[in-house]
Amino acid sequence: MATAISMPRLGMTMEEGTVVEWPVALGGAINKGDLILIFETEKAENEVESSTAGFLRHIYVEEGEVVPCGTLLAAITETADEPFDVDAFHATENHPDQDGDAGLQVAASPSSGIVDEAKPTARKPIAPAARAAAKKAGIDPELVSGTGPGGRITKQDVESYLSARESLVTIEEGVHLEVLIAGSGETVVLLPGLGTDVSAFARQTPFLADRFRVVGVNPRGVGLSDAPEVDVYEVARTALDAAATYEGAAHVIGASLGAAVAIELALSHPERVKSLTLITPFVEVSPRLAAIAQGWSRVSSEATPETLAASLLPWFFSSGFLADSAVRGRTLRGLAQTVAKVPAQTLARMAAGMEQWSGTRAEDLARLSVPTLVVAAGEDLLTQDANRVAEAIPGAKLMVVEAAGHAVALESADAVNAAIGEHLASLAST
Amino acid sequence: MTRKLSTGGAINEAIAIAMRSDPDVILMGEDVAGGGDRSKEGTEEMGGVLGTTRGLVGEFGMNRVRDTPIAEMGLIGTAVGAAATGLRPIAELMFMDFLGTSLDPLLNQAAKLRYMFGGKVKVPLTVRTVCGAGMQAAAQHSQSLYWITTGIPGLKTVIPSSPADAKGLLLASIRDDDPVIFCEAKGILNQVAEVPEGDYEIPLGEANIVREGSDVSLVAFGATVAVAQKAAKALAEAGTSAEIVDLRSLSPLDEATILTSLEKTGRMVIIDESTPRCSIARDIAALCVDKGFDFLNAPVKCVTAPHTPVPFSSVLERAFMPSAQNVLDAVGEMG
Repeated sequence: MATAISMPRLGMTMEEGTVVEWPVALGGAINKGDLILIFETEKAENEVESSTAGFLRHIYVEEGEVVPCGTLLAAITETADEPFDVDAFHATENHPDQDGDAGLQVAASPSSGIVDEAKPTARKPIAPAARAAAKKAGIDPELVSGTGPGGRITKQDVESYLSARESLVTIEEGVHLEVLIAGSGETVVLLPGLGTDVSAFARQTPFLADRFRVVGVNPRGVGLSDAPEVDVYEVARTALDAAATYEGAAHVIGASLGAAVAIELALSHPERVKSLTLITPFVEVSPRLAAIAQGWSRVSSEATPETLAASLLPWFFSSGFLADSAVRGRTLRGLAQTVAKVPAQTLARMAAGMEQWSGTRAEDLARLSVPTLVVAAGEDLLTQDANRVAEAIPGAKLMVVEAAGHAVALESADAVNAAIGEHLASLAST
Repeated sequence: MTRKLSTGGAINEAIAIAMRSDPDVILMGEDVAGGGDRSKEGTEEMGGVLGTTRGLVGEFGMNRVRDTPIAEMGLIGTAVGAAATGLRPIAELMFMDFLGTSLDPLLNQAAKLRYMFGGKVKVPLTVRTVCGAGMQAAAQHSQSLYWITTGIPGLKTVIPSSPADAKGLLLASIRDDDPVIFCEAKGILNQVAEVPEGDYEIPLGEANIVREGSDVSLVAFGATVAVAQKAAKALAEAGTSAEIVDLRSLSPLDEATILTSLEKTGRMVIIDESTPRCSIARDIAALCVDKGFDFLNAPVKCVTAPHTPVPFSSVLERAFMPSAQNVLDAVGEMG
């Protein structure tokens, strides 16, 4: 055990001092309180008493030398002959003043994780407590829909997300889908379109649940459903996912991209499909639809759900529907809640799947043998293939709601429900 | 046994108990006796500008209850010296606004002596002082300057919110071996409530949960505890459960109780009668962001006076002081 003797700093103006005398000979014994050093600064000699007992083991600075305050001058060891490393002691104990910044250490960055990687964005403000709870649960907080001011995700939102997730349907390892189940009877499967969730069928679900077991499927990346990290959510994959959420055969209802999934399901697994209802379907993505999907993804990544909903509203609904400002406001709020469940990344992956699927099944529609109802909207700005689909599928019925936009199932729910009801009833009676 | 006393009455009782139990305790200040030994002639002495110390000179005499000149530097300097040399003085600084004229003995002597002399000197001084607005005492007699003394290491700063707390905290302050600034908020001086009889102390540096809740934490102290109570009642009627943390001591600060409450509720409002810059409110807000970041479910809100002198007009003074409505608005903003 060694003790350092360093050049003291006597006042704010003292920068250096001169070693005048070492009163104890090298190797000599020292008692606590003995005079151990005489040094000079500003023309005055000063004495230093030893703070410890021992032996003057090594002198680093000889008499007459001028050194900065803090410089290691000598070492005292407890015993005369204990092991002592002259250089190592100098390395740890020599702290001359001019090197003011030398001891600064930058702490290592905090461990990486969701908290560090997920930067707050304009789209999803997240309370720190929610961020911490999400990190603890190992989930991406961006997936949680926020109920706080400005859509802020709170700790309670994360907790309800986690408790809702417990009821998810497992498709395969690491992929769990959020499935809404209502009613009992024969199974009716609801498949929502691009960038929406099962709430797109909000006005069909209670109607159907009176007579059927309704299974609404949120596809990968939508709502609470897991979002595997792939570039494309393929339509065929989505169809297989849907098939995994029910047993036996079902009446399958799909809207827009959901209709594409329904077609895919009926073609690949005809034994699982009792009937099809294709609402505003398409077989090829028009340049306009592709452009809208691109713009949609872009706005989604940069704006709040409210802004995104406002930009989508005119594409989805008819002029007549939008004429009523109260209806418009209510619909806008609902649409904002719906699009909030679809992160920008999911939207891009779904859109990529849609483009990839475009045109691939045009020839195969003629092979479909299940009873099919096609629902078209007279003011649909996004898809115009309903006639073509109805003509291509053998025996398909076509129902057109003239004064409605793409979101016809929401806008003209009564007419759509009546047509679906009649379609399904006719199957039951045969 | 309890009976009802005003905060002023509880303070008076605490001083009497301390003086009876320890002959080194003395009381000094401007008019704390007020005309000296008048009681012996059958006339009531003044007992300080607000009458808080009335009756003490009669029991303890003019040696132990001493009127001083209107010279705060001399009064406080004398008290610091008396404390450093063996007495246990209670000095009354009539209004906290006069801190400016008495700060050096507190800032550079009382706060530093024990530290600079390696613990060989202690300064068992209590400075009682009245702070806060609400009595139309105008800009020079209404300030809440406890943030200044709280910012000085070596001084303790205590601020009770009720008569019973005032008694227990003052006894603990007097018997503490370090200098304590004991703030008597004008808003609570006339509050009357049950006070236990006898000699009891409330430990310094420990906050008190005066109301348990689960949705939002209201940190308050001194007169703002009553504001928090009023707000909590209104919040409860609206279905929001508020927890109230009464700090009791500003220095030392009970960080653990504040952070535990924040962890429980996720939302924090601090209610502080002083102006906002460099305030206790913002100090605690910084604590919450620093050590309680992962608990926060909403932005921290500070309800304080505006950054202005205290107005004389009673209408403006009411608007200046933090109100229960201000607290409700802050909770509303948090969502």
